[in-house]
Amino acid sequence: MAETVVRARSPIEPPPPVVVVAGWEVSARRSSAELTITDHTPLAKVAVKATWDGPVAETLGVRFGHARRQEWPTGESSGSVLVTASAPGEWLVLAPPAARASLVTWLEKTTENADELVSVIDLTHGRALMRIAGASSADLLAKECGLDLSEASCPDGSALRSAVAGVAADLIRDDLGGIRSYLVHCERSAGQYLSSSLLDAGLEFGVEVAGFELPGI
Amino acid sequence: MSMRLGPQPGEVIDRRAEFTFSWNGRPSPAYPGDTIASALASCGVRVFSRSFKYHRPRGLLTASFIDPGCMVQVGDEPNVRGAHRLVAPGMEVRSQDAWPALSLDVKAVNELARRALPAGFYYKTFMSPSWLWPAYERVLERFAHGGVVGGVESERDGPARYDKRHAHPDVLVAGGGPAGMAAAVAAAGAGASVMLVEEEHQLGGHLRWGGKPDLVALHELRELVESTPGIEVLTDSVVLGRYDGNWVSVLQRGLPHVDERLVKARAKSLVVAAGLIERPYVFAGNDVPGVMLSTAVRRLVNLHAVKPGHRAVVLTSNADGDAAAEDLDRVGVEVVHVEDARRGGDVVRVRGRGQVREVELGDGRKVPCDLVVTATGWTAAVSLLTMAGNRPRYDATAARFRTDPTMLPADVLATGGVVGDGTCEELAAHGAATGEEAARRAAKDAAVGAAVSPLSVEPHPEIFRGCTHGIVDFSEDVSSKDLFTAVEEGYRSAELAKRYTTATMGPAQGKLETVNVVAIVAEATGQTIAETGTTTWRPPYAPVTLGALAGRPREPRRLSPMASWHERHGAVPLLASAWIRPDHYGDPAGEAAAVRDGVGVIDVTPIGKLDLRGPDVARLLNLVYVNKWSKLEVGRVRYGVMCGDDGVVIDDGVTGRLGDEHYLMSTTSSGAAAVWEWLESWLQTERPHWQVHVTPVTTAYASINLAGPRSRELLQRVVEDIDVDADAFPYMHVRTGRLAGVDGCVLWRIGFTGELSFELHVPAGYGLHVWETLLERGGDLGVRAFGVEAQRILRLEKGHLIVGQDTDGLTKAQGAALDGLVKLDKEDFAGLPELVWQEDLPDGARLVGLRTTSPSLVPAEGSQLLDAAGLICGRITSSRLSPALGRSVCLAQVDLSVAEPGRELTVRLVDGGAATAVVTDQLAQVDPEGVRLRG
Repeated sequence: MAETVVRARSPIEPPPPVVVVAGWEVSARRSSAELTITDHTPLAKVAVKATWDGPVAETLGVRFGHARRQEWPTGESSGSVLVTASAPGEWLVLAPPAARASLVTWLEKTTENADELVSVIDLTHGRALMRIAGASSADLLAKECGLDLSEASCPDGSALRSAVAGVAADLIRDDLGGIRSYLVHCERSAGQYLSSSLLDAGLEFGVEVAGFELPGI
Repeated sequence: MSMRLGPQPGEVIDRRAEFTFSWNGRPSPAYPGDTIASALASCGVRVFSRSFKYHRPRGLLTASFIDPGCMVQVGDEPNVRGAHRLVAPGMEVRSQDAWPALSLDVKAVNELARRALPAGFYYKTFMSPSWLWPAYERVLERFAHGGVVGGVESERDGPARYDKRHAHPDVLVAGGGPAGMAAAVAAAGAGASVMLVEEEHQLGGHLRWGGKPDLVALHELRELVESTPGIEVLTDSVVLGRYDGNWVSVLQRGLPHVDERLVKARAKSLVVAAGLIERPYVFAGNDVPGVMLSTAVRRLVNLHAVKPGHRAVVLTSNADGDAAAEDLDRVGVEVVHVEDARRGGDVVRVRGRGQVREVELGDGRKVPCDLVVTATGWTAAVSLLTMAGNRPRYDATAARFRTDPTMLPADVLATGGVVGDGTCEELAAHGAATGEEAARRAAKDAAVGAAVSPLSVEPHPEIFRGCTHGIVDFSEDVSSKDLFTAVEEGYRSAELAKRYTTATMGPAQGKLETVNVVAIVAEATGQTIAETGTTTWRPPYAPVTLGALAGRPREPRRLSPMASWHERHGAVPLLASAWIRPDHYGDPAGEAAAVRDGVGVIDVTPIGKLDLRGPDVARLLNLVYVNKWSKLEVGRVRYGVMCGDDGVVIDDGVTGRLGDEHYLMSTTSSGAAAVWEWLESWLQTERPHWQVHVTPVTTAYASINLAGPRSRELLQRVVEDIDVDADAFPYMHVRTGRLAGVDGCVLWRIGFTGELSFELHVPAGYGLHVWETLLERGGDLGVRAFGVEAQRILRLEKGHLIVGQDTDGLTKAQGAALDGLVKLDKEDFAGLPELVWQEDLPDGARLVGLRTTSPSLVPAEGSQLLDAAGLICGRITSSRLSPALGRSVCLAQVDLSVAEPGRELTVRLVDGGAATAVVTDQLAQVDPEGVRLRG
């Protein structure tokens, strides 16, 4: 039977118990494991395309290969957003789910007079996004990704694009509270596969699934 | 009889926890730390296997990984290196390839036929008469050597597990002996991240079975390794190969949850500290059980507390042989005689069958004994250095091939026995200096580092073969006589002799026998060893299972947001590229009929979708499509076909204009990635000044096709702010709005099935909600989900082609019956010159509709078509039974000469029969005028 309240679903099946947060079905599971994977697909994900070194790049304030939090007055839900730049001339801005519409509006307004072609595209539903957090998060990823994740090559705030478990994915190092952490996102349809692969790879490190909690970023 | 000794200072066994395992069905005791071989040897087992060709009894030779005499079956795992694999409680170990028993192997009769089985016999026998080959094959199969895969009860719980891991150490040290350990410590001390790889179960190399000073040094070095941060130690692991850019593969074994792991390491510096491998001496009877190398004896005694025999004769030519004699004496083995090769001593032959009975010395004396120990020289393990491009040279003084470290690439260094000799302190010092230098190079430190002083090289007598012929390659049963024969037959180089005799091609891969082979070939040809040269070592250095190379199964799967619904409702899955799609729900003909009669919904999420923005989008569309796009208005949709530069059709789809500079392009599902690349290729290389952004949004939308005469009725029940009446929303138009409470939806009025239909693109997270809403609200309309199979039937009835099925790699636009779409008067587009040329050609292929004269006959896709002369003139590309027409409908690629409507062609059926088919007037055989589509 079709549901009467519209709810969004991630491509990654949430382990029970399942609740609705910000209009998304998510897992309410909590974990105290040292290594966790959390489905962050509900986060707003807005892509911006512009010249890699033009005025929009300056506005966004994040160079290619990097990721940084910004405090933007995007609207009622203004607050921190995470601006990632995994490819030259491409940015993906991550924000809490409720900030999606206002973020799109703010980015469109802010860039509308830029003297270059700018595209602002809402990819919230187009990407599956996971956070891997824990001291052995790099060890887990090393089983599925050939990138050099050492401190020298991939310090906190790095944004890269590579293959993870055989699918094209962006990898952002985003440590939380001094704990090593990575955001991994791929095109949506491969989300369940990627999640399952990472969980399988993390078994030897005792990985557990943790549920999504607001604000998420 | 127990051959277990009392506690030894360096033993690796744990006597507190004895357990049992089985050997050929009989229980045997063992301790943790025992290898299969050491445990069996402690019980007095002498014969562990039978040789390859002649099935001679074989005992321990090296008591290490490369021991050719101890390959056994463990459970369902064949060819296990019994002298390396640690024994475990309950392990079921069996001998291989001996029947009916190891002690009495019928195949030993091969030795009687030895004269008929010389080296290379298989190039000369089993050839004629050739019609007997099936019989020869059955005979030869019986002599295939090795264990059994499957058919043996496994002690393991579940299938074997393999996986992989990537690593990026600054310095990778291959070899954990004294030089290797010191190199690792020094490199880490200099700030490098280090991976130290050791093939044995413990670090230490030869120190482990050495005397007291060696054990002290061993413990000191081990403690240093453990206490120095930044060193990852992998024991029971081996470097398989070194490739360009120091890409190094490491096979890691003995992990608790994984059988084998392939570590793919990219090292900034590689330090090769692989040490020396003791080589056997070649003489008659050198393969009789009880003939061992000095290192084998020292391993058994000092590591595993096993007495290798009772009465020993030692042939020694170096300090290690001397030490072996001392060790034997220390533990109560009667060392009857020490024959010193440095003073001209020699062993002529050993007599015995299942074990050594007597040895004949060079002076003619015959000495009864049960153990003969040889220490006649070393081979440097230079394989990795060879893989790095270095060619070792023979050093007659040292009697081995050596590498010149100054000739190595900048990112490869070598230390330890592989480059020289020395005391433990000297080896460690060299290792430390090398490690520091490796770290400096890894850091790309421009400062000139101190040169690493070379190690000295101790003289060693050149002793390879005695005055009799014996086994050279124990794995392959190749004797020195075989090598002489090969040389006589003209195979005068080491490489040719190797290939002709298979010497060095067995499981040890030349580690034990290469230098002896070269020396014997040199002896046979009258050349020097240096002139003869050596063979080439290639990866892998050690055996690696296919499982380790494959790793964990990795099969990316792509799922639509409605996938769970399809599964719950019994959809038969269809694998389309990586997508799992619903092929049908049990009744594809019924599903197709529901669309023709009422309304159906199909999940078409895999359709490629590209978001195009910018002032130059129309120019791009004009460039990549064969038709015209400049005048496409906002709100309109147009069908387009793309051709490559060769005019061949590469993709098709519809593109809608959502805004002044905003378009949404659709592609085939399999072509989505390729089309994206095609567009980006044009934009980034040929037209970099055009302002267009292309963003893949294939899976940002859940795509649902609503099709059938009642589809508008159903759509009106879910749409909220869009007028979908026929006049307000005509055919080939696009709208955006809110569906079932979801904003941001895109609706196209298009049709692949030939019916009134709408393609709905919904933000993917709401896809399941919209899908279920459609099905619920259309219940009274008879709405039904239909799958890919039904869609194929419907589109075929309508004559709509599928790129890649009805076209192939040679089909140009005209050949796909798309002439009307191609605008040759455009200024330029991809494929224009080829299509202009094709237009004037009188021949080529053509896509046509076909109808079989026997209505119920549905020829197989791919069936050949023959003309009146019986010549092949085409093939059927699509074929189905049409529920709407009650007969078959087909599309076919045929020669232009037979493409006219009404032409009769012969279909060659799969069963060899033939049928007649007629070319139809049009491709579409249901509603060719398109009335239903435009309703």
